[in-house]
Amino acid sequence: MPNAFQPSRRAVLLGAAGALAAPAMLRAQPAAIKLGILQPVTGALAQDGEYGRLGAELATAEINATGGIKALGGAQIQMVFGDARSSPEGGTAEVERMQAEGVVAVVGGFASPICLASSQAASRYDLPYVADVGVSDAIVTRGLKNTFRFSPGFGSITAAALDNLAKLNDAAGKPAKTVVVVHEDGLFGSGMARLMGTELPKRGFEVLETISHPTPARDMSNIALRIRSLNPDLIIPSSYYAEFVLLSRTLQQRRIRPKGIYCVLNGAASNYRFVREFPDAANLVMDVNHWADPRKPKTAELRRTVEAQNRFWLYNTPMNYSAVMLVADALERAGAADRAKVIDALAATDGKFDRHIMPYGPTRFVNGQNQAGQAVNTQIQGNDIKVIFPTDFADAQPVFPWPA
Amino acid sequence: MTAKDVWPILLFGAVAALLPVFVTAGTLMNFAIFTLILCLAAQGWNILGGFGGQYSFGHAAFFGTGAYVTAVLQVRYGVNPYVTFLAGIALAALVGWLIGFLSFRSGLRGSYFALVTLAFAEVFRVLSNAVEFTGGAAGLLIPLDQRAANFQFESRGWFYLVVLALVVLALLMTRALERSRLGAQLVAVRENEEAARAVGVDALRVKLSAITLSAAMTGAAGGLYAQYFLYLDSTIAYGAWISVEALLAPIIGGAGTVFGPVIGAVILHTLAEATRMMVGRIPGIDLVIYGILLILVVRFPPRHFASFLWRQFRSYDPDLQIVFILRIRRRRSAQRERR
Repeated sequence: MPNAFQPSRRAVLLGAAGALAAPAMLRAQPAAIKLGILQPVTGALAQDGEYGRLGAELATAEINATGGIKALGGAQIQMVFGDARSSPEGGTAEVERMQAEGVVAVVGGFASPICLASSQAASRYDLPYVADVGVSDAIVTRGLKNTFRFSPGFGSITAAALDNLAKLNDAAGKPAKTVVVVHEDGLFGSGMARLMGTELPKRGFEVLETISHPTPARDMSNIALRIRSLNPDLIIPSSYYAEFVLLSRTLQQRRIRPKGIYCVLNGAASNYRFVREFPDAANLVMDVNHWADPRKPKTAELRRTVEAQNRFWLYNTPMNYSAVMLVADALERAGAADRAKVIDALAATDGKFDRHIMPYGPTRFVNGQNQAGQAVNTQIQGNDIKVIFPTDFADAQPVFPWPA
Repeated sequence: MTAKDVWPILLFGAVAALLPVFVTAGTLMNFAIFTLILCLAAQGWNILGGFGGQYSFGHAAFFGTGAYVTAVLQVRYGVNPYVTFLAGIALAALVGWLIGFLSFRSGLRGSYFALVTLAFAEVFRVLSNAVEFTGGAAGLLIPLDQRAANFQFESRGWFYLVVLALVVLALLMTRALERSRLGAQLVAVRENEEAARAVGVDALRVKLSAITLSAAMTGAAGGLYAQYFLYLDSTIAYGAWISVEALLAPIIGGAGTVFGPVIGAVILHTLAEATRMMVGRIPGIDLVIYGILLILVVRFPPRHFASFLWRQFRSYDPDLQIVFILRIRRRRSAQRERR
């Protein structure tokens, strides 16, 4: 009868087999690396948050399916998801939880206020934070060592928007000379309008009038009538989604056709919902915004995956996909799931990082900001959103001025 | 105020002050600090709404003023944050007095007063979103500089203790108010304003004192919020969320009691956190469960938690137990008669 001191032959064999197999199992299954994904999936920003999360999920699944982090013995990435609840304190609370769960980095935030508060909370623990969308320039100018942004900030987006507008106009033989700026009366719209008012004349445009409207606005008829009487070549709106949709529909109903509508960081003109729901009003509207690189095969593949799930192709998905890929790349180079090493590796990211799908040149970080991050010009053409500028990344020719 | 009035508050403070010794997890400290900040805002509401019976739906006006003054003065003019914090409290009190003066003098009461406060908070929100010095829609960021001299502490424990000290101070002030002549007059105004006037209570003065004190406390909560999260925009500072938080906690915990707001805030946030932790991946499902729990708590209150706990606590005294049984019986028979 076997007892504890005299084990049976079978037990010894089993134990020996187990002892032999154990190192092999350890080799095959290194500890998973926890990565915090922070998105607002409840509250006012829920739609954006869901699409951001989707991007992070797709990237994580792809990394894990292609052998994990190879420098760490093929370690899998385990996503620790946090709902930022569309508020800065919601984001902060989730960063604390992620810290307690031992994540190696945090990706996301979406809105500037959430990115600002969450990256600050993460900086207490020297926890690397990669902001996905938030455009506020303050995110990377506070001197936080842990905070990185792969995408462009407000300053560079607006500068590019003005330069590209001038180039677009020059290339078409300067058809546009006069401009009407329509903006919402909050700081976003007013700030943008002020910028346009000072910068456009320097680039050879005459601003006929600057028309403001409140958010929410229920009627755009008066603004449309005013635009008709001014008869500008170009309309530059800075409004939120609903107001811009209303404006473009009113213009369409009243058959007001300028030579172009040129938006900057517009909620609607880079949104397939607008294209799907109001194809006629949306057609040929231009925008300067975040967008995925249409020439990369990976972009098309990701887009097919997203659309197969019956979802729209929004910029949040490729941006978060790319941000997670950036962290994975940093982990490969750091060779350890160590926060300080990951921060150093993120800061040292260079042009060799090519798993992202954004239309950016070779990556180079200065004070946490990717210098190559840039917004692109898009145009809605035949029920699709096409990149028309810069030419290196374009997949369509601009239709400007609009055919009569 | 006697020692008997004070020791439960000091006991609460002493026990709560031990938390940072046992807890170092950031998640729990963060939760505790946020809950205490809301306790302070709720205690402010409780003075006006609970003791004074003047239900405000717009305490965001005071919270936001406290927060913005604390932030704007240090960001734009480089004033020391401790000074700006005090200035925030003072200005919030002034705003409280002004709103009180305008509405109480016009004789606004009940739902009319509630609507006016709501309107004031909304006006402040729209204005702070439009003007430049608040940072407008882009918000205002207090630079990170973790030094005690800068009212930002490297360790959360210290910030927790500062917030706790202010909550204890607010509790002591509320207790002092409850025991004072002003407190008695305030309760008299709540119960029957005409009767109070008839016996010589200057109702306007009493209500103005209450709203000023109330606004100062809620303003302090705003200033602490700004110093802790270091970021403000108009929907955080003057948004409806804080008005709701400030009135929900005392109503659940027991309006017009000293510990009501604290108990209410702790219960609300523990419920919120617990549902959040227990429910998995479907976004928003915890909010649904939280909402259901909230309805149940409000629908079946064990006669407000504060007085409930106090009764349990006191019922160890056999004499008092008899008194309470008698009182409950009397109340039940009174209810039967009413039916």
